[in-house]
Amino acid sequence: MPTSILLAQKELQKINMYKAPRDKLVGILNCCKVINNLLINASIASNENPPGADEFLPVLIYVTIKANPPQLHSNLLYIQRYRRQSRLVSEAAYFFTNILSAESFIWNIDAQAVSMEEKEFLNKMESARAHLMGTSTSGEDQQTETNLDALEQRSGVLKANRELDNSVSVHGHHVPSQSYDANKDVNEKALTNMLSISDLEKKGAADLLEENTSKYFQDYPFLFANAGDLTIQDVHSLLNCYKKLVLKYVALSKGMGIHKESVPLSTESSSALQTVKEHEYLADLELKNGNAEVSKKNSYSTVDLILQMDEMESKKSIEGSNAETNE
Amino acid sequence: MVLEPPPAAAPPPPPVLRLRKLAAAAALPLGGRVGKTSLVLRYVNNVFSEKQEATVQASYLTKRVVAGGVPITLSIWDTAGQERFHALGPIYYRDADGMYLQSALLVYDITDSDTFVRVKKWVKELQQMASKDIVMAIAANKSDLVRSKKYDTQEAESYATSIGAKLFVTSAKFGTGIDEVFHEIATRLLQKKKDSTEGLLPAPPRKGIIIVDDEPEQKPPPRCCS
Repeated sequence: MPTSILLAQKELQKINMYKAPRDKLVGILNCCKVINNLLINASIASNENPPGADEFLPVLIYVTIKANPPQLHSNLLYIQRYRRQSRLVSEAAYFFTNILSAESFIWNIDAQAVSMEEKEFLNKMESARAHLMGTSTSGEDQQTETNLDALEQRSGVLKANRELDNSVSVHGHHVPSQSYDANKDVNEKALTNMLSISDLEKKGAADLLEENTSKYFQDYPFLFANAGDLTIQDVHSLLNCYKKLVLKYVALSKGMGIHKESVPLSTESSSALQTVKEHEYLADLELKNGNAEVSKKNSYSTVDLILQMDEMESKKSIEGSNAETNE
Repeated sequence: MVLEPPPAAAPPPPPVLRLRKLAAAAALPLGGRVGKTSLVLRYVNNVFSEKQEATVQASYLTKRVVAGGVPITLSIWDTAGQERFHALGPIYYRDADGMYLQSALLVYDITDSDTFVRVKKWVKELQQMASKDIVMAIAANKSDLVRSKKYDTQEAESYATSIGAKLFVTSAKFGTGIDEVFHEIATRLLQKKKDSTEGLLPAPPRKGIIIVDDEPEQKPPPRCCS
């Protein structure tokens, strides 16, 4: 049973990898077929009625939560808009409607919907949130390990992060000051001992390990985000955060009188060309995939978005050259 | 496959319609634990799975029927009847392309009056949210569990009449009343289709749709191949 569930999840996760609306839809239909086969086998084994929607929908919801497919909402809107209407009929339409309804259920999930006490539900959501903020470092493996509630909460956390991030960019110096505070006492010691930056980093990391790390990282909304979680709107604030960090870092090392120390953030620029390209590619992909949703929210035209992207690219290249001249 | 024989003197299909096959006429059984899945399976495959091997899923099924001499393909959507999924109903009222659900079959358990209360709730909601001229029929299922004539369908029958629907007493176990209820839906769907094409020529197929988004629909990019 778990293997078929995993298979269904894999099929669902594929939808973000394809570009054509048909291919995305096929991923959803395959997922539904796997679930149906699973249910049919279960009903034969237990000698019960063949599975209907009463059995199918809850399993689909479960699979959707566990799979947590990247940008599900955008992908669904994309299919709805760009899949040929005459092809989105009969069986395909039925299962597509079911995934829409599964998404809607997850979106509006509350204690009553999962037959839980209000308090228990809130507690679990809270602990899931803490779990996400604190321990998950990176990687897909961890996602499958995190519990159901954590995954349910994921989208909520991302949303919360975005809000947080907006406030950060409004208040300007909040992010750097936090990092400054965290390093302040370390810096003082460093001034007397004249440690190198890498020594400092090691020391800081050791200190952090002893404490509750989530406390420090709470204000860095993108630290635990995967590339797939980001939307176009995030790029702006992400770039802002990055610039502030770089400026702070360079200023700090300058202030300490260290010039030729390996600076992890800025020396990336040469090798980063490739990763930047990759990010542009991702952003580009996202532009295509998330286009529908983004244009709906911001009433931007595609041209506007492309112009924006161009602007960001030129900013990036300027920044890259700046970093090089700094060395 | 085709169970209903066309009426003896079947009128030829109206040439205006050019209907060889009327697809995507959706019937939507509603309610929980009232035997709707069994009912649909009995209708489509003529089986009742008390001990039979199930080899099909029953959430989406199609059936070809002939109503008034016109072949029709009914596509039957099953919906989850649990109360916690009730709020998802509106997603099923419409097709993915914004078209309204054309008909609904509401199933209740004749031995359980609570399920009839839920049918009323659904009808109210469908009348408000879905298309005004949605074709509805009510099935009072599990009639095999009640000894003959002991069940009282008086109230249900008058309620059905009041909403312009017909009540059918069905038994998925014995297969009674089931062909009739689907035949009724098919006939009325066809009639509706005829009326709309005769009324306004050519009737826009999307008459009366409300698109969920408040934004005008985007045309697919011109590069898009067929």
